[in-house]
Amino acid sequence: MLLGSVILVLQETLEAALLVSVLMMISYQLWNRVAWLLIGIGGGLVLSYLYSSNMVEVSEWFDYVGQEIVNAGLQVLTAFFIVVCTWAAYKSQRRGSVARQTQTSPFASLFVFCAAAAVALAITREGSEILLYLGGFLQQQEYFRTIMVGSSIGFSIGLSIGILLYYGLSNLPVKWRLDAAVILMALFAGNMLAQSVLQLTQADWIPSSRSFWDTSHWLPEGSILGQLLYALVGYEATPSAAQLVAYTTGVLLVLAFRAAGKHPKR
Amino acid sequence: MNFRATGIISSRLLSLLALLAGLNCHSVFAKTPVIDIEIKDHLFHPSEIVIPANTKVKLVINNLDPTPEEFESYELNREKVINGSRKAVIFIGPLSPGEYPFFGEFYPKTAQGKVIVE
Repeated sequence: MLLGSVILVLQETLEAALLVSVLMMISYQLWNRVAWLLIGIGGGLVLSYLYSSNMVEVSEWFDYVGQEIVNAGLQVLTAFFIVVCTWAAYKSQRRGSVARQTQTSPFASLFVFCAAAAVALAITREGSEILLYLGGFLQQQEYFRTIMVGSSIGFSIGLSIGILLYYGLSNLPVKWRLDAAVILMALFAGNMLAQSVLQLTQADWIPSSRSFWDTSHWLPEGSILGQLLYALVGYEATPSAAQLVAYTTGVLLVLAFRAAGKHPKR
Repeated sequence: MNFRATGIISSRLLSLLALLAGLNCHSVFAKTPVIDIEIKDHLFHPSEIVIPANTKVKLVINNLDPTPEEFESYELNREKVINGSRKAVIFIGPLSPGEYPFFGEFYPKTAQGKVIVE
């Protein structure tokens, strides 16, 4: 029970923690802004409460696949906001080299709005699952204490990894910092789109295809490394062709908008 | 483009269309098999299900417990929360023959099962 709750909450926390640390690093380094994070996290908590408390109704939408459709929508939107964040970050960097960047530049405002939205949506999905999980144990007092201890440990580990990543990125040489963060954002966006394809396949809205490769023998998805890679870069031991296409699309979109932000039309 | 090349392309197009039409008929007329699974006292009943290879199957999972459960399988690439005292639908397959374990992520010690594809 204890270990199960540690792993479950860690899995859910890790994804949001990674996103938060990358976006926070960028906004702090470029404009010294971090207050948006409170709105992102607060909004995410409120939305995850609303989502989990309406999960019964949502699940029955679209002939019992409402959960998949809503999750896929949240994932696509998260990827969209990450793409816009990338563009805004590079756009403002370009400007920053000409005139001194101010906290209130339009690109800074666009970035923090999209960053808050991406974080809120990521927390909505992951948080609602934790709330449903914990809610189930509210009715079983004998386990509740154990589950709360395990969940707190899982949450703390996830948070620590996020903090490590934040300081790791912040201590890179200045010229690599933004690029390193954007590579992580590209992988994150790819992961979101691939996961949304998986959700739609599960709902039978997208036809299922055979797995493109099978690495489950040498790196099982359920292993610790497999789980870490799943949260970090969306590792799948048996991805379908559609998932790979979606993943590549997400990565390329972020890289394309990075290029668009970096080299504005004259 | 000469006449012969056009002929080859159009015959290929025709066969592609025929193929698509065939696929379409298949999905319309072949009913997706439905398999019912129950969750009770954090156990899956039945805990082993047998399905045919290369066939899409609809799992209807009835959670008879008052607490939510999460159906999860790394091998099937599936993950879904099932509310307490509610049912959920999950599509799996087409799959190649083999064994695909699944478990209830909220109660992984007890809620275990596998899909056997033959």
